[in-house]
Amino acid sequence: MSLFAAIRKLWHSIAPRTHGDVEEEFRSTLDAYQDDLIRHGLPEEEARRKARIDLGQPAAQYDTYRDAIGLRLFDELGGDLRHGLRALRRNPGFAVVAVFSLALGIGATTAMFSLIYAILLHPFPYVGADRIMNPHAISEQHPDVFQWFTLSKAQCDDLRLAAPVDSVLGFTSGHLEITNDGLPEDISGVYLTENADTFFGVRPLFGRMIEPFDADHPVVVLNYRFWQRRFAGDPHVIGRTLEMDHDSYTIVGVMPRSFAFFDKSVGDVYLPASLMRAVANGPAPSFLPWIKLRPHVTVAAANAALEPIVFEMATHHSRVSGWHLGLQPIIVPYQQKTGRTLRLLLAGVVLLLIIGCANCSILLLARGRTRQHELAIRSAIGASRWRIVRQLLVEALVISCTGAVVGVAASYWLARFPLSLSPDSFPAESVIRINASVLAFSVGLALLCGILFGLAPALRLSRNDPARSLPGRQAGVVAAPRKHRWSVLIAAQVALTLLLMATAGTAIHSFLELMQMPLGYDPANVMELAMGLHFHDTAQWRRIQSREARTAYIEQIREKIASAPGILTVAVGTDATPPYSDPVDTDSSFNIDGTRDHEQSQARVMLVDQQYFAALHIPLLQGRIWNTDENTRGDFIAVVNRAFATRYLSSSNALGRQLRIAGLPLQDHFTASSAQSTAWRQIIGVVGDARNDGVDRPVVPAIYLPYTTVMRQYVQFFVRTQGDPLTYLHSIRAAVASVASDQQISNGAFTLNEAIERDAQYSRQRLFSILFGVFSAMALGLALVGIFSLVAYSVAQRTTEFGVRLALGAPRTHVLWIAVRIALVSAAAGMVIGLALDSFLGVVLAHWMQSAFAAGSLLAAATLLALGAFLACLLPARHAIAVPPAESLRYE
Amino acid sequence: LTKPVELPQGTLEMLILKAVSLGPLHGYGILLRIQQISGERLEILQGSFYTAIYRLERQGWIKGKWGESENNRRARFYSLTAAGRRQLKAESAKWTDMAAVVAGILDKKAGEI
Repeated sequence: MSLFAAIRKLWHSIAPRTHGDVEEEFRSTLDAYQDDLIRHGLPEEEARRKARIDLGQPAAQYDTYRDAIGLRLFDELGGDLRHGLRALRRNPGFAVVAVFSLALGIGATTAMFSLIYAILLHPFPYVGADRIMNPHAISEQHPDVFQWFTLSKAQCDDLRLAAPVDSVLGFTSGHLEITNDGLPEDISGVYLTENADTFFGVRPLFGRMIEPFDADHPVVVLNYRFWQRRFAGDPHVIGRTLEMDHDSYTIVGVMPRSFAFFDKSVGDVYLPASLMRAVANGPAPSFLPWIKLRPHVTVAAANAALEPIVFEMATHHSRVSGWHLGLQPIIVPYQQKTGRTLRLLLAGVVLLLIIGCANCSILLLARGRTRQHELAIRSAIGASRWRIVRQLLVEALVISCTGAVVGVAASYWLARFPLSLSPDSFPAESVIRINASVLAFSVGLALLCGILFGLAPALRLSRNDPARSLPGRQAGVVAAPRKHRWSVLIAAQVALTLLLMATAGTAIHSFLELMQMPLGYDPANVMELAMGLHFHDTAQWRRIQSREARTAYIEQIREKIASAPGILTVAVGTDATPPYSDPVDTDSSFNIDGTRDHEQSQARVMLVDQQYFAALHIPLLQGRIWNTDENTRGDFIAVVNRAFATRYLSSSNALGRQLRIAGLPLQDHFTASSAQSTAWRQIIGVVGDARNDGVDRPVVPAIYLPYTTVMRQYVQFFVRTQGDPLTYLHSIRAAVASVASDQQISNGAFTLNEAIERDAQYSRQRLFSILFGVFSAMALGLALVGIFSLVAYSVAQRTTEFGVRLALGAPRTHVLWIAVRIALVSAAAGMVIGLALDSFLGVVLAHWMQSAFAAGSLLAAATLLALGAFLACLLPARHAIAVPPAESLRYE
Repeated sequence: LTKPVELPQGTLEMLILKAVSLGPLHGYGILLRIQQISGERLEILQGSFYTAIYRLERQGWIKGKWGESENNRRARFYSLTAAGRRQLKAESAKWTDMAAVVAGILDKKAGEI
């Protein structure tokens, strides 16, 4: 309603008086004049006539009014618009093809823009998100290695007092268990310092955010997705209680969908930081800080001011020397990760848009030839060239705006596509929606396109000399085509299409290569199950706190799972999930016997059990794998991979060598390490290389140790099954429950194939190959439609000419050649340009996509395009020779 | 009978402003008043008359309001706005200046040049 009111108001300011108002006034004047004339003695009928002759017709008065207040241009444009719409309706085939070509381009570009807007320009819903910094320590030796640091709550409060700081949020996440109904569910809780509400400045959907007065109160705020999942979006959830870890929490708020703090470990629930003390016997809780700077403070200045303060706080940390403080805006990691991807995709859709525009230009030019007669008449009866150009432009804008409407509607779905293909590359917070900026962008785009593709045909067609084209009804016979602007357009279109197709070819080629790359392990039918052990509950934790008890507990669960029907092998590991593209810890240093201590020897330490190799089908190359007893003991033995043996040992006598990992035990309250974990270990076996640094990177040297040597408060099981592993989830849950009824399984059970799909390089390559495949298919379709309709139009135009030629005895092949010549030659020229462009740009593009330039795929693309173009020329050209000469002569 | 005078371009609007400045008038009233003041010597192009009124209203120099005419008909009465008063003053001054200059030139005798 308010929209209508706004439109009415705008309209009122443009044309303040209504039609009736103007007419009524004029009639009253007319009547007064008429009365005067009658008084002067004229008969009534004559007075009426004279009044109208002198003053004018009341019906026409509103036009006079609009003309007087300068709305004439407006009216004429309205007329052009109506004319354009009528022309489109009269020619639906043309309209559909033109609108569709543009809708594709505008839809894809709008989708990409809304993606860029959501991810790079405005990804976070927080107030002053550009001032929120993620502090980390930068090592002087390895400036690319980020090290997060934590602060206590008091330190967060101290930091808040520093001059450049507006506010500081401390947060930490932990696992919680819902304990009041059915199977225990493991959820992720994020503890926030109590200034969370003002720091984020996000209005909750219901209730409120964590507030300062919530300190020490058992309250909880729900994440939108969790609220949807657990409470089915019940709006009356506020005030109810949620039982977690056997404590009751009052639900005080639900956050909106756009709030998904933070990053990949999005919390299901948000809790006051003061509740962190409840952890049994834990050390003083520490928090990751986010620092919001005051407005107009530069990052460099804040860095300089905060570094001494932060390091003052961290003096008890050993690693102060050689480290710097780095403040990084929270958007930066995403810009680094996805900026290039999005730019490349944007380039792809812009190409698509240009091809679409070229298509429309071609169509307009081709159709324009049938309209020359109409335009000639218009200009003969006095339309200026500007008036004709304007009308043609308005028609083009009608097409582009219709295309934009269709495209924007489609972009709503299109924009979700990349997100679903590569979910981990984008911030969880970014919600794709069509907002004012996106709409403004697409309207601007539509106008730009309309002018872009409309201007050339309009200028070209308006240059008609009426004297030449008006008597041209019989000109069909001599219609030797003049200079063809559209042959340039065809060539450009073909060249750009080839570029897109070759890019798609490169992407698909390298993705296929990636898929065929030997992994060194067999991910099929293996699933990873993560399990968090009870450490919140003091009594339960005591029972499994020691290393031996924990091993026994885990082994018991492992055996129970293994005994379930259909389960082939069950293995245990701690953070050893291949392809291991996102290492939790950096590699460890080690010493080998007979060599001096040198820091350069680094290897990835994998904590697994002896079944791990069987479960993942990693082949044993030399020696043996440890047995059950050795696994329980955990010490004195190690297995290495082939990369390790080649790099650090002369591979012939790897067995029997000794190694030692000094930094192995973790200083962590929940970790149980064996006393001998840093002792010398004998290498008893060498296994094959399994990808352990992402799917595309070479395998790094790895040391496999029994997981019992360093045990954490969580563990992962690798389950190899017959058929799809996820179907066994229920029986596995039952097996686990038979050991400990309240032992939860984390929600994220996934197959190892899914783990590969989440790999950054894998998902990027897949994204590129699918999207560029789609783009190039669209571009190919557009280019072929362009060529097809051009040839079809010109054949229809020249039917008479062809008839005469055939009647005079021209061979059919010759006529056919004449019909397709120009389109075919310009397509061929386009191919040549495209090939040249591609060999120049292809290398750059391939570098951007981080994949090898494939000449073979370029050739395949060129062949496909050439074949398509040939068919698109030939099919409509058949009509040139199909019509019997006598009939085509009668055509006029 | 005196000879009718043709109106130079652009002066009609000034005359309408002047007519309305003496009190609110409806369209036909304006027409009559101009003719009356000029001693019936001005032949107003009636077609352009309303165009001028619309333009003046658009500029905000006159303001229209519906009311009752002398013979009980609904009519739209125009009155001068503050901006219109200023405009009329400026236009009249300009006109007087120009007329004086033109008259001065035309009055010159051959010997005086």
